[in-house]
Amino acid sequence: MKLTRLRVDQFRRFRQPFELRDLVDGLNLFAGPNEAGKSTLVAAIRAAFFERHRSGTVEHLQPWGDGGAAPEVELDFELGGTPCRLTKRFLVRKRCTLQFGTRTLDGTDAENFIAEQLGFAFAAKGSSKSEHWGIPGLLWMEQGEAQHIREAVTHATDHLRTALNASLGEIAGGDGDDVTNEVEKLRNELLTPTSDKPRGAHAEALQAEQCLRDALGAVDADLLIYRQKVDRLALLRREHETDTGERPWEALRTQAKAAGDALREAQSLQQQLDGERNAALALAQRIDLLRRQLDGHAAESRDAERRADAVVAAQRALDDANSLAAPWQQREGDAILRHDKARRTLALARAQDNRRALLRELDDLRRKAGAASAALAQAEAEQSRQLALRAEAAASEISATDFAALREQVRRIRELDIRRSAIATRLRFALDAGRELRIGDETVGGEGERQLLEATTLTLPGYGRLRIEPGGNDIAALARDAAELHDRHTSALSRLGLASFEAAEARQQLHALKLSDLKAAEATLKALAPGGIDALRAECAALDARTAEVQQRLDAHTDEGGGTLPSVSEAESAEDIARGSAAEAARQLAAARNGCAAAQAALEAAQRERDAARARLDDPARAKQVADSNISLTDALAQHAAAVQRIEYLAGRLDAVRPQTLAQDVERYTRSAEQLEKTFAQRRDALTVLEVELQAAGAQGLDERRAELARDHAAAARRADQLGRRARALDLLLKLLQDKRHALTQRLQAPLQKHLNHYLGQLFPGARIAIDDSLSPGPLTREGTSGSESGPVDELSFGAREQVGVIARLAYADLLKEAGKPTLIILDDALVHSDDARLAQMKRVLFDAATRHQILLFTCHPEKWRDMGVPTRALDTRSTT
Amino acid sequence: MLKIIHTADWQIGKLYGQFEADEAALLADARFAAVERLAQLASVQGAHLVLVAGDVFDAQGVADRTIHRMFHCMRGYSGRWLMIPGNHDAALSESVWTRAARLGAIPANVQICLRPEPVLLDNLNVAVLPAPLTQRLTHTDLTAWFADAQTPSGMFRIGLAHGSVQGILAEGIDSSNPIAAGRAAAAHLDYLALGDWHGCRQIDARTWYSGTPETDRFRANDSGRALIIELRAPGIEPVVTPVSIGQYRWQAESATLRVSSDVDSLLERLSRFGPSDVVQLELSGQTDLAGLTRLRTAISQAQGRVRSLNADLAALRIEPTADDIAQLSADGYLGDVVAELRAAQDGTDGDTARDALVLLAGLLGARRDGVAP
Repeated sequence: MKLTRLRVDQFRRFRQPFELRDLVDGLNLFAGPNEAGKSTLVAAIRAAFFERHRSGTVEHLQPWGDGGAAPEVELDFELGGTPCRLTKRFLVRKRCTLQFGTRTLDGTDAENFIAEQLGFAFAAKGSSKSEHWGIPGLLWMEQGEAQHIREAVTHATDHLRTALNASLGEIAGGDGDDVTNEVEKLRNELLTPTSDKPRGAHAEALQAEQCLRDALGAVDADLLIYRQKVDRLALLRREHETDTGERPWEALRTQAKAAGDALREAQSLQQQLDGERNAALALAQRIDLLRRQLDGHAAESRDAERRADAVVAAQRALDDANSLAAPWQQREGDAILRHDKARRTLALARAQDNRRALLRELDDLRRKAGAASAALAQAEAEQSRQLALRAEAAASEISATDFAALREQVRRIRELDIRRSAIATRLRFALDAGRELRIGDETVGGEGERQLLEATTLTLPGYGRLRIEPGGNDIAALARDAAELHDRHTSALSRLGLASFEAAEARQQLHALKLSDLKAAEATLKALAPGGIDALRAECAALDARTAEVQQRLDAHTDEGGGTLPSVSEAESAEDIARGSAAEAARQLAAARNGCAAAQAALEAAQRERDAARARLDDPARAKQVADSNISLTDALAQHAAAVQRIEYLAGRLDAVRPQTLAQDVERYTRSAEQLEKTFAQRRDALTVLEVELQAAGAQGLDERRAELARDHAAAARRADQLGRRARALDLLLKLLQDKRHALTQRLQAPLQKHLNHYLGQLFPGARIAIDDSLSPGPLTREGTSGSESGPVDELSFGAREQVGVIARLAYADLLKEAGKPTLIILDDALVHSDDARLAQMKRVLFDAATRHQILLFTCHPEKWRDMGVPTRALDTRSTT
Repeated sequence: MLKIIHTADWQIGKLYGQFEADEAALLADARFAAVERLAQLASVQGAHLVLVAGDVFDAQGVADRTIHRMFHCMRGYSGRWLMIPGNHDAALSESVWTRAARLGAIPANVQICLRPEPVLLDNLNVAVLPAPLTQRLTHTDLTAWFADAQTPSGMFRIGLAHGSVQGILAEGIDSSNPIAAGRAAAAHLDYLALGDWHGCRQIDARTWYSGTPETDRFRANDSGRALIIELRAPGIEPVVTPVSIGQYRWQAESATLRVSSDVDSLLERLSRFGPSDVVQLELSGQTDLAGLTRLRTAISQAQGRVRSLNADLAALRIEPTADDIAQLSADGYLGDVVAELRAAQDGTDGDTARDALVLLAGLLGARRDGVAP
């Protein structure tokens, strides 16, 4: 398709007729600023094709504010080499005419014809929308829309398929997708779309089959139980009839009775035996008693003999003890004598020791008493010196107050003197040698100076007298003060008996010296008699008294024995040994004497016992008792032997009868009979229960119910099977349809891929874009910094998306061109977001595409497209309108 | 002259799971109707006695109303009925018979022989020797006692038993409950009435299986009959006349389709089936889509006509012709799908492929005809 001329009138920005003519093959570049009418021209082309001329909703085609305008578009173009002219007028005097070669079509026919040729559709109602635009919607890129490739392709897919099938030599079934959809719908009624699980009627049928199978299983179980019960009933009945006829418990009862009789007989035998045994026992006890009596008598005789022997033995023991005691008597006397001697020696030794000690003590005391007397004499001397010092100190003392008062007076006198001398009249004189004068009563010569404190008369010998009176009142007052103070001072000194203040100071120093001496004297005394003189004195007296007392004691002791005596410790040791010997001897003697006494006592006791035993033996009643007992024992032994014989006989009989076994027999037979009867009764009851149960169960018609369930189950299984088969068939069919459709689509995709790669290589070297089933560009794969990377085109930058959008459309155009379909490419201000490098690539792409297709490119940046090798046509309606 | 109706294997209470519910119900009802017709036959024939040789009920546990209904169906004949229990309704300690007795369902003219002892019918001059089954299975010959059974001389001796005559019937068929061959002669029976075998069959001059009065399976046997036995005098051989009693004919049809005319002949056979036919149809071989369509139409029509028609087409291969495909206008990738399904019929899951092919053909046909599938 090639557009050659475009004319618009009363169309939006173009209130006046505007015409573009001489459009050429390949690229046509239109430039103009914003508002220049570029988009209006694009809109005019779109309206001419897409909008029904009768449409009532195209007011937007009118110039603003001109409701009466009749927007008109006239296009000249070639379609498959045939020159065409399409004229459309909207809203007012609506008209559509298509001149197709020599043919002329009008109105809707013209519109439908052109729509079929170009591959688009009309809106059934209202304005044309993107879903109707088909192939032109793909190739005519509106301002800022080039990147929205997916929707555009979706709206064009059917047209593309139709257009492309011819080129592929394929006969694609028009019904294919409808059938596939229908099969999918049918399949999904029976199976879930993703997990292939039964659903809907299929699932219900399977569930019903399962329910019935379970129910059948339950009935089968019931039937099994029922049949087992029937068998059990037969068995119980047989047993019951057998028992009813035989009555086996009666025989057992008879056996029990016989055993009972035998048992009773045995029991009477047992009683007899027990009686005999008791009698024998009593006899045995009596024999035992008699024997014990006789034994007692014999023991008494033996006892008496034993006691006589004991007396002899005791006598012997006493003799032995006496002979043992005699030597100890002598030994003890010797030991006591030795002990006394040792004791005396010891006393003498101790006395001598004491005397020596007293002598030492006396020496000591005498020395101490001497020392104490010396100390006392010294202390008493010191004390009297101290008293003298104290008196001297007291005499030289001036009270601190008095001293202070004196000092103050002296100070004030000086002060007054100073003040008087300060205000005194100074009289200096320098007299010639040999000359003199008198100042007051004083005669002076030479040089000197005098202070005149009062009126003074200078007598100049030979010249008379000069009377000089110092000026001012003060000097007189001061003189009075000084006189008064001087009087007081003198009085104070006299009171203290002092000549002057210097004397007072001297006395003060003397007093301090005395005090110091006194202190030293006190310290000396303290050292000599720490407890005081009196204590020292008492100590002396005490020492004297002690000395006297020791002396007295010493005088009482006489010196005995002299140097022959042993030392005290030796004497003590000898005495100790002697005392131990004496004590040991005494102890041994006492022990021997005790032994004698004990032997004596034993002898006496033995004699008493022997006498008592003899007396018992000699009792005449005892002999008779022994004789009686012997007779009784003989009798009892005879009776016992007879009883034992009877017991043996009876026990032998009882052994043969076995009464315990008989008792067990009785119990066994009785219990067996009871058990059999009980079993019989229980079986009878069980029979009744079973009969009732079976009657009840029979009434349920279990077999018939089972047959019904089996019938229903078979039907349900058939239905489930049918639906399962249908589901499998539909599933298979759907898969095949989808596979084949996919294969076909892939065959369609191949050429598109080829064209797309052609452009893509120029824009993104090495990149690939997959084509999906709907023929839309899929993910973009290219070499990135970290190897191959892949991602949806939608995630690229706006600029890149737009570029991909444009090249994809160009690829479709190439595809359509190959299929002999009309292609016209319009770019309205496209690629404004591309950087210079990319734009340069896109220009190559577009230049390449323009060698095959007519391209109308509208731009407001003509300078960017200067290098496309075609002239730029300027559009500026602003000047024309 | 003694006239007896001999029947057996009524199998009352039998249900037919392999059929659809409505058909199964009618077939079950037909068994009751057969009893009514037997009563009518006995009445019309002026029979002296009806012998039922076991398996009166299909199971012990039939519903109470089934018991009542069955005995009610017998009211058309007021003469004497003698029955024995068979293996399906053996006289167990608790059985359908004890229940029937408890329910009071058994009419006075019906006698159930529960014990192996002679039943003397003086007024008819007949001694019947029954061999009732008291267990589900026995491996001893219950008719053994017939030989030594004493009956008054001059009376007819009629045996009544249920089981397999040894050495006559195919091995494996009810080989339990054996009956010695030649029992009638050995026991000096005038006639031995047998049950268990569902087809009507003569064993020897005096021994017959009557078969079931209403067919209940497709196995080809001579069922759906009753026997009229005429005995002129004791010792004289009986005259046995089979009569048709059954309502439904059970037909098992099979065909292998090769060419188009095979379909024609099958269709012709189908057209001959009527309301009393219960048909089982098994097809194999191959056909094109047109043939399949004709076949399905014919089967649908027949199903409306006959009592029941069960068609198994699993083994039938669908081979669409070029014409078929053109007819379906299966162009584009649909054509590929048809071709692939056609080939896949011989694969491991051929059934599914065939089903899918038929489904696709149906969908395309419906689109072509402009109707919803």
